[in-house]
Order: sequence, then C-alpha cells, then structure tokens
Amino acid sequence: MSTQADPAQPAEAAGPVRGRVDQAVVTAPHAATAGPVALTTAGLTLGFGTRTILSDVCVDVRRGAVTALIGPTGSGKTTLLRTFNRMNDRVSGYHRKGDVLLDGRSIWHPGVEVMELRRRIGMLFQRPNPFPMSIMENVVAGARAHRLVGKAGMKDVAEKHLTAVGLWGAVKDRLKDSPFRLSGGQQQLLCLARALAVTPEVLLLDEPTSSLDPAATQAIEELVRTLVPDITVIIVTHNLAQALRVADRTIFLNQGRMVENGETRQLFEHPAEEETAHYVAGRFG
Amino acid sequence: MASAPLARSVGEAVAPSPRRPAPMLRAVVRRADVVRWLGRTGAVIPLAALVFILVVLLIESLPAIRYNGLHFFTTTVWNEGVSYNALPVHSGGVYHMSGAAFGALPEIVGTLLTSLIALIVAVPVSIGAALTIVERLPRRLASLVGIFLELLAGIPSVIVGLFGALTFGPFIAHHITPVIARNVPDVPVLSFFRGQPGSGEGLLTSGLVLGIMIIPIIASTTRDLVRQVPILPREGAIALGMSDAQCARRVTLPWVGPGIVGAVVLGLGRALGETMAVAMTCGVALSTVPGNIYTTMTTIAATMFNYLDTAFLDGTGFAVRTIAELGLVLLVITMVVNIAARWLVRRVSGIALPVGRGV
Ligand SMILES: Nc1ncnc2c1ncn2[C@@H]1O[C@H](COP(=O)(O)OP(=O)(O)OP(=O)(O)O)[C@@H](O)[C@H]1O
Ligand SMILES: [Mg+2]
Repeated sequence: MSTQADPAQPAEAAGPVRGRVDQAVVTAPHAATAGPVALTTAGLTLGFGTRTILSDVCVDVRRGAVTALIGPTGSGKTTLLRTFNRMNDRVSGYHRKGDVLLDGRSIWHPGVEVMELRRRIGMLFQRPNPFPMSIMENVVAGARAHRLVGKAGMKDVAEKHLTAVGLWGAVKDRLKDSPFRLSGGQQQLLCLARALAVTPEVLLLDEPTSSLDPAATQAIEELVRTLVPDITVIIVTHNLAQALRVADRTIFLNQGRMVENGETRQLFEHPAEEETAHYVAGRFG
Repeated sequence: MASAPLARSVGEAVAPSPRRPAPMLRAVVRRADVVRWLGRTGAVIPLAALVFILVVLLIESLPAIRYNGLHFFTTTVWNEGVSYNALPVHSGGVYHMSGAAFGALPEIVGTLLTSLIALIVAVPVSIGAALTIVERLPRRLASLVGIFLELLAGIPSVIVGLFGALTFGPFIAHHITPVIARNVPDVPVLSFFRGQPGSGEGLLTSGLVLGIMIIPIIASTTRDLVRQVPILPREGAIALGMSDAQCARRVTLPWVGPGIVGAVVLGLGRALGETMAVAMTCGVALSTVPGNIYTTMTTIAATMFNYLDTAFLDGTGFAVRTIAELGLVLLVITMVVNIAARWLVRRVSGIALPVGRGV
C-alpha cells in the first residue's frame, strides 16, 4: 500500500532491475511449451468443513514453463496453489480426495518429507512477508534452515540471489538493515531471493504483483521469465495481460472446476470453452 | 497527554469569537481542561509514588546504612546483639544493642539464586506453553487452557508455599534430588548440585516454587504477544520448509522479542520480591550463603518477613532500621534488573518492525 502512496519508491525498486530487460526479452514467452510434466493433479477434490472448494481438478503443469492460473475471485486459485506445497494440510476442517503428483509421485506419499517438499516447491505470497531479521539473514533464512549454507557462506549466497533478483545494488551497503525499511517492491524481490536461495524446482507465485506499482510489476515479470526453464513457475494472476506477457501455458479455473488448460495464446485467442471465452472477453472488456 | 493539543485547539477556536461563547462550548472547554489536568496528574503519580517510597525507605534506613556500612554487603552474620540486661551502645551517632552486626550477603545471594532458578525453569516452559496454546491447540481448548493459566496466576502465594513445604519439597528431596546429588561429577559449577539432599526445605524447592508461580505470568503475557504476530511471515517460514520450531525461533519469537523480555522481567520482579512462598520453603537460614542447591537459605523478602517480630524486640529500633535497609536493597535490585532488561532490549532488537507501513 505504501508503495503506491509514495511515487519515489517504486522507481528505486525497479531501478536495479532495468538493466536486465534485454536479457529477459531473449527468452520470449510461448516458446518452450513442450516439456515433460512436473506437477499433475488427478481428480483433486477438496474443501474446508462442509464446503467443497475444488472439484475434480485434473491439470498437468509442464516442467520448465511458466503456467498462469486465472479465474474469477473465489474460484479456488489460491487453494489449488497452496495444495501443491501442502500449505492447506493444517487448515482446520480440510478434506481431500484425489492426488497431486510431483515427478509422478504423490506429494502425500509417506516417504515424502513435507519440509523437503516445500524446499522443492517454493512460494511467493500476494504481499511481501520478510522475516524480522536483517536483509542478509532474510535471504539465507531458508537455506540455513535446510543446511544448504553455513555461517561462513551466508554473504556469498545472499549476494548471488540478491543479484539474481536485481536487488544487490540497492541493498549491498545495508545488508544488516531491517528489511521493513525497503519499499514494497523491494521487499517482494527480497522474498523472491529468499525463495530462490533454497534452490526450488517449482515456484508458486500467488498474485505476486498485486500490491506493486507498474515498474515493480515489470521487474518481477521480467524476472519470472529468467527463471525458466531451470524452474517451473505457476503464477496466479487477475491481470490477463500479465498472463499473456509471462505465461507459456494458462489454466482457467471457475467455481472450483478446471475449465480449460492450454497454451496461453491459444487459450486467449481461440478458447475451446464458452466459459473461457466469456471470462477472457469480459476481462478485456 | 494526547488531549493537550486538542484542548488547545478547542480553546483557540473559541477565543477569537466576537460573541460570548455558547454555554455548551464553554462546558466543553472546561471539560477539556479537566481532562488535561487529570492526564498530567495521572502521568506523574507513578513517578511520584516511586520517589516517595524510595525516600521514605532511605530515611528509615539511614542509621542502619551508616552503622552497617559496606560490611552489610559482604558479611554473613545476622545478630541484633545482646537484648537482655544490657544497655544500648552509642557508636557512630547510632544507638544499637551491644554486639549488633548485620550482613545481608546470604539474603542478596539467596534472592538472586532463587530467582535465577525460577527463570531457568519458567522461561522455556512459558514460551513453549504460549506457542503451543496459540499454534497447536484447537481454539476451544486454547481458551480453556488460557483460563486455567489465569486461575493459576491468581492462586495466593501462601497456598503455593504450603504445597511446596508439605508436598513438593519432600517429594523431590526423597525421590529426585538424592539421585542427582550422588551422581553429579565434582567439577566447577556442577559441584553446586552435590551434597546432602536435605529434607526438602531450601534453595532448590524455593526456586522451583517461584518458577511455578511465575510461569502463568510469563506464559499468559507471551501468549497474548504471540497471538499478535501476523500470519503472513509465519506462513512464509513454513512455506520455505522450516519446521515449526525453526519458525518459532526465527520468526514468531523475534517478532515480539522485546515484549517477551518485558514479560520475563515482569515474572522476575515477582520472583525477586515474592515473600510468603519462599519464607515457607527456604528453611530460613539467616546467616549462611548456600553452598549447594539443597541447603536451607533465605532471601531478602523472606528475612524481612521472618525477622520482623524479633526485630521489634530490639529496644533501640536498630534491627528494624536494618530491615528497612534490606527493603531498600530489594527495591534497588528490582529497579536495576528492570532497567538492565530495557537496555538489553534496545541492544538486542536491531531490526525495526513494520510499524504503520501497511505492507
Ligand atoms: N480456510 C478456509 N476455510 C473455509 N473456506 C475457505 C478457506 N480458504 C478459502 N476458502 C474459500 O474457498 C474459496 C476459494 O478461495 P481461494 O482463496 O482459493 O480463491 P481465489 O481464486 O484465490 O480468489 P482470489 O482471486 O480472490 O484470491 C472461497 O470461496 C473461500 O471463501
Ligand atoms: Mg487468491
């Protein structure tokens, strides 16, 4: 919120990222869509208490691609996203049928360690959520928890990932500072660096730019394109233009059902389903 | 205090008016004056009360301070002197019975040690309990446990003391401490845990009883603090693959770190000054510094309470002055601990939290 109130800050947030534009453009969207499947949901039905939120969702998420998850508000996008890294497991009244497979193996298989699963499937939230520790400690917090880095290697790891998100220049002199003094966009980039530092295979983004201004949004979008094909990205967005800009493939959810799943351009320009056409047309107005 | 600018602006708005201010407006102005006045008085009262108590204690104990001198802090004797068939002695401008000598070292050491034991027991238990209540228990059960916690905080200390003296002390002395006392190696620090386990009155029992008494204080305050930690950073930690313990240690607790130090200081203040429960379980050894964790001992508060009757028998009044000096020492210790904790908070909590940033 404060980001939008102060016009000086977003520019500062996006500044260091600007230099990456050319690089980002090289990896054009809609290019690499064919790849093996990373995540599969099989007849996934789930709800809280007596309510059913998702019904019989079957989707494939291609490895190394950016997949957008679109749909009206309350359609279950966040719920589906949070199922992938088992964040819903502890919500009271949660019940589920069906399965989610990561590399062909159920994420609820007894052999799957949930903390390791969450390391492999990272998440960026709708609003930035830094931890109450210094900027540098924030970046390496997850990596330290997973013993991917010792105390000695902290600075190097922090530099590597802050550079990757284009934040290094802005924070290199204030690594010991509070992350809460950064602008909203910078905080979100910091959280992205933190998620990348545990070397995830899949990254879940839940409306990562909804609290950011256009410049910071652009920075994040460009970054997302640089993550593929090393990382499989799923991004929830209400902004269809954003889906068109960043996503190779798109999934359309409506009222907890998967309506359509296909290549982004195809889905927007020649939707197979009436519902999709309706939503896409309505949203572009 | 916040009412002051408001009241002033009301006053300015009224003053330039060419006509007489309406009666209602005048009433508002007057009421604002009253509020301002009340606010200022209220802000000053705590400070005034503290200064008043300090000054009174100081005046009461002045003769004792002069006669006991620095030996008061380094010696262990506790003797009001010969009280039968003896005339008061006048020395250094102070009347006292002949042979009177007071050293509060056992009391001071005892106070600090019992409180230390209480903290060692209570802090981890309280923080663990607070985290469990907030993050693990279903809502109904959590509020039930919370109610019991508050009930526990309200148990009169004389009851806790009775429990300690009759049940808890003898139990640990017969079943637990003998094993520890026999098997702990004779090395520095640990040798403090060797020796005769005694009968259940002494340092360990008092410290543990104090611990039990301050757990509800620290736990309920910490629970309220932990509840205020926003869900977003906590979920962020879980989504990174941190365990619950890591999330608590790295995110939840640091978020409210200064508040938790405050809660601990609150409990510590209670432990330092607690009288009845300690007096009933310490064994009242007025002139020995505890040599191991099982020996009988005393604290400042326990001595003040236990010794007051005897002190009144001293016709010169010097023994009572000495008790006032003990009280002064206790007050100073409590205040120093408080200030030190505040200083600690400012040193440790380097990370500014998002206050009013709305992100
Ligand atoms: N913990 C919960 N308990 C009960 N119902 C829930 C819970 N979480 C979500 N819901 C319900 O599930 C439905 C889908 O919510 P979800 O957050 O997944 O929607 P969304 O598609 O992300 O919407 P938006 O675009 O507004 O973020 C909503 O009707 C919501 O009320
Ligand atoms: Mg959502």
